Amino acid sequence: MSDADARRAAFEAEVLPQLDALYRLGLRLTTEPSRAEDLVQDTVLKAFRSWERFQPGTNIRSWLFTILRNTFINDYRRRQREPIPMDLESPESGLALRAASDEDPEGTFFSQIVDAKVLEAIDRLPEDFREVLVLSDVESLSYAEIADIMKVPVGTVKSRLFRARRQLQSALYDHAVEMGYLKPARARS
Amino acid sequence: MNKPQCQEALDLLDEYLRQELTPEHMARITDHFEKCRPCFSQAEFQRSYLLMIEAKAKGQCCPDALRRRVLEALRSRQH
Repeated sequence: MSDADARRAAFEAEVLPQLDALYRLGLRLTTEPSRAEDLVQDTVLKAFRSWERFQPGTNIRSWLFTILRNTFINDYRRRQREPIPMDLESPESGLALRAASDEDPEGTFFSQIVDAKVLEAIDRLPEDFREVLVLSDVESLSYAEIADIMKVPVGTVKSRLFRARRQLQSALYDHAVEMGYLKPARARS
Repeated sequence: MNKPQCQEALDLLDEYLRQELTPEHMARITDHFEKCRPCFSQAEFQRSYLLMIEAKAKGQCCPDALRRRVLEALRSRQH
């Protein structure tokens, strides 16, 4: 086996098992399967070119997610998109959630919602929120790993995650009420 | 809900649910949840949410066609 073949084999052994996770993150960031596929392919080829920079023993997934995220920001993000205000949390979302935990304190309604609805609700979150929620709650990265990927302090990760969950849980609660999985909470006098 | 024990349990809820705390710390928070109904409910709500997200959003896989495309791109070119 030539050196080039050995290098490629080592790369494939580490990176191919991560394709599912790369595709999932790509899909949530681009929200379109065809763009997610292009993004994953670009990410893998970039990673291959800079393979020597990966330090064995460190988290391969974090390294690949960083490349995917940078590629997304540089080449895939819709340029005409409006910047998203960070403080768009409406007072209603807090109320809805309080209602959810009153009506269904153990959150059993979550399990009744179909997968596609959950994904759709994630894709509707503002990009900064969506990213941190997927890295934490879907891909189970730690706050420190997420902070490293997103180049923000750990405190920012925590506060974005808190707000992202609140928005997502409110949206799922509204959906559950609409579908009749839950009764709407009555206003208390 | 303004007790320091409540504050601590809720601040560390993520780490608690992922079992990333020391055994003593885990036990202290479990003990608190056994005594404090509002905190217990919040923890159960969050646990249900995390289980749901993992079950529903982690099932998506890389399509075979993409896997093949990536492999071909890796093997056919000089990078």
